[in-house]
Amino acid sequence: MITITVNGKKYDCTSDPTTPLLWVLRDELGLTGTKYGCGIEVCGACTVIVNGEAERSCDLELKEVAGRAITTIEGLSPDRSHPLQKAWIDEQVPQCGYCQSGMIMAAAALLKQNPHPTDADINEITNVCVCGTYQRIRAAIHKAAKG
Amino acid sequence: MNDMTLPNEAVSLDRRGVLAGGASLVISFTLGLSGREAAAAGVSTPIGAFIEVSSANKINVLVASSEMGQGIMTGLAQLVAEELMVDWSQVTAQHAPPGWAYANPLFGIQLTAGSSSIRGWFTPLRTAAATAREMLITAGAAALNAPRSSCVAQHGRVRVTGTNRSVTYGQIAAAAAQVPPPSNPPLVSKFRFIGTSQPRLDIPSKVDGSAAYGIDVRLPGMLYAAIKHCPTLGGTVAKTPAKPAGAIAVVNLGDAVAVVAANTGLAKRLSEELNVQWSIPASSAQLDSALIMSKAQQLLANGTPQIAEQNGAPDAELAKAAHRVDATYSLPYLAHACLEPLNCTASVTANACKIWAPTQSPMMCVFTAQGLTGLSPDKITVNTTFLGGGLGRKFEQDYIAQAIKVSQAMKAPVKVTWPREQDFTNDQYRPMALVKVDAGTDSSGQIRAWIYRNVSPSILGQRNPGMTDIDTQATEGSDQLAYGFATRRVEYVKHPAAVPVGFWRSVGHSINCFAVESAMDELALAAGQDPYAFRRKHLAGNARALAVLDAAAALGNWSASLLAGHARGIAYSEAFGSLVAQVVEISAPTANAITVHKVACAIDCGMAVNPDQVTAQMEGGILHGLSAAMWGHVTFSRGVPSPRNFDRYRLTRMREMPIINIMIVNTGGPLGGAGEPGVPPIAPAIANAYARLTGKRLRTLPFFPAQSYMGDG
Repeated sequence: MITITVNGKKYDCTSDPTTPLLWVLRDELGLTGTKYGCGIEVCGACTVIVNGEAERSCDLELKEVAGRAITTIEGLSPDRSHPLQKAWIDEQVPQCGYCQSGMIMAAAALLKQNPHPTDADINEITNVCVCGTYQRIRAAIHKAAKG
Repeated sequence: MNDMTLPNEAVSLDRRGVLAGGASLVISFTLGLSGREAAAAGVSTPIGAFIEVSSANKINVLVASSEMGQGIMTGLAQLVAEELMVDWSQVTAQHAPPGWAYANPLFGIQLTAGSSSIRGWFTPLRTAAATAREMLITAGAAALNAPRSSCVAQHGRVRVTGTNRSVTYGQIAAAAAQVPPPSNPPLVSKFRFIGTSQPRLDIPSKVDGSAAYGIDVRLPGMLYAAIKHCPTLGGTVAKTPAKPAGAIAVVNLGDAVAVVAANTGLAKRLSEELNVQWSIPASSAQLDSALIMSKAQQLLANGTPQIAEQNGAPDAELAKAAHRVDATYSLPYLAHACLEPLNCTASVTANACKIWAPTQSPMMCVFTAQGLTGLSPDKITVNTTFLGGGLGRKFEQDYIAQAIKVSQAMKAPVKVTWPREQDFTNDQYRPMALVKVDAGTDSSGQIRAWIYRNVSPSILGQRNPGMTDIDTQATEGSDQLAYGFATRRVEYVKHPAAVPVGFWRSVGHSINCFAVESAMDELALAAGQDPYAFRRKHLAGNARALAVLDAAAALGNWSASLLAGHARGIAYSEAFGSLVAQVVEISAPTANAITVHKVACAIDCGMAVNPDQVTAQMEGGILHGLSAAMWGHVTFSRGVPSPRNFDRYRLTRMREMPIINIMIVNTGGPLGGAGEPGVPPIAPAIANAYARLTGKRLRTLPFFPAQSYMGDG
């Protein structure tokens, strides 16, 4: 049994300690907002925040996050009131939406560390969007940063 | 309150799931509409096939098309809201069940493909909503005890004009549903919603993780399976493997096994570790990129063509040409690579088959289920979830059939998920192609001869081996070109390669536009003419085409001076009823790199029902075409496809994203599609810019196959 804290709540997880956090979140905790895209830390659809840092959860074993504070898209705000969520709606960012949980979490970690990112800072986000929403993501991050 | 609702069944299953699983198993299945909100919406009354009116006066639109990112739920809901005379805040939407009422009038089948949803539904859905509106007015007049002629529909109410007396649609829906539907109901002429950028109904659910995709489906008592196909195409399971420790079962599916476990993560890991003995037929070795290319070259030189279009005597004209181009263009197989891997959930019992799927065709899922279960269609339900991308892959039935078969074998509800490696290596790939263009102009730069030969596997031919007609999916974008050529012959030679091929966003246009628009540019440069002016000259008299071309040239500052080391390229395309022109500005920082700085794009799709969503589709189409042009390719070595994952199938990322500007040009023409037409022009526009910048012509896609490594970000 490994205890992790997700969105401020403690969970005693029964998954094998080597299970990727992605599957613990999706399968054991039912937090399906975090998506499976590649399973090899490339696409970023599984991005969550662990102790303030954006992390690809598909290659992070449960035992590595024991006792850590994890935030998923479900925990960003209770009512879509996070500035990024509001900006994402204002800019009509998502298309298929499958990458967007990971994108928003990557952007949330960025803003936490750098409240007023430049375009170059935003370019550090390596998450993949197949639908091509990058231009709107960039606009939404700037909008959220302005507050 | 623009939240969407899921089919009632899914909502109720979710509630049961919550009760069964306890607090830690709260599944985000209700798209932001909480159980309490759903209950507050009250009893719903259907009025016709597309509209449900709740007692709380919510208008739920049953959307026949699948939402895969194109915003179609919103676009079709706008058509309904327009005619029904309701406020946008009343409107919700959900996927319709399978049914003939939901067959796209353009095809006669319920299928989201071919950039056809708005084109197919624009008038039929408005007519359906107008019919419902008239029925509501009749019922409202009766309820208000007023002459029908004094009643109007406004803001979701029937009102007696000149008074405060009104009833909500919700109050009279049951009575309205009994009113005989009028024929020829009048359609609204002054639009309030059509042509406006209404906010998308699905977006709130896509910023908080609650949007439910197929891969998120959870049912009480369900099992979870991961698929493992034979790594070599054409191979089959030689022997059903023993169940590994930790698995519930291994199901033999013929060309694959399904490893069934207590959850998806475990099933995936066990499937990856499982050793399976495969039987590989000798013919699989023929599925090999080198062999396929050499056969294509042979067919390009000596194949017997089918003629798509012939006009005049181009060979004789070519012999007389002042400027000639003889160029061969090469295009690779491509993967769909939807970010949501293929998955499907099925629950099959003796007298019912229930399917939850990210599918572009719930109706085809019914046919698949009928074939596998023998059940009649009324015993088969399909719940279409959101699609994490469709791109032409998710109307195929392979993954649907697998879920049904595994559920049959396990006698339980089962979700089947393809690990990403399975998705890449078992695609229905965009066909490769070799295209040769022999063309020539007179001394004034007017094209006198155009001889075009496309060698490519046939998507339709693979699916209909007896087909003798020319494959119009292969020839689209090569024949009926808008350009005025004095003579022309357009040929297609079917390549017999057995690599499974399918419909990739923009299909044949994705191939032919690259060859046509590259060759047009080569001709312009050979004749010493500006590529934009050269295209204008060959579109003379075509006001609609010129308006789009001119708009893109203006938006892209075609004639303005450039930074040193920069160049512009242009391309034009007509696809899916829409006209698109793009101007790119690029630089080439090294010999093996292109930076695309800007893309200016003009589209004429007739009336844009939701301009912001047309814009979004053009942005997305451009990006999709851009990634493919730069790096996209799938190769086959003795039947084994590669790549296997995104690390070697590079896609454009934030730092490579050009600045894209879209202009919608409406010249009053008929409706065109938006989902696909943005894709075709971008590759040739980049190649054309590169030729102007460096003098080097890029005739092979992708431009940089050796740089397709995306690594770990």
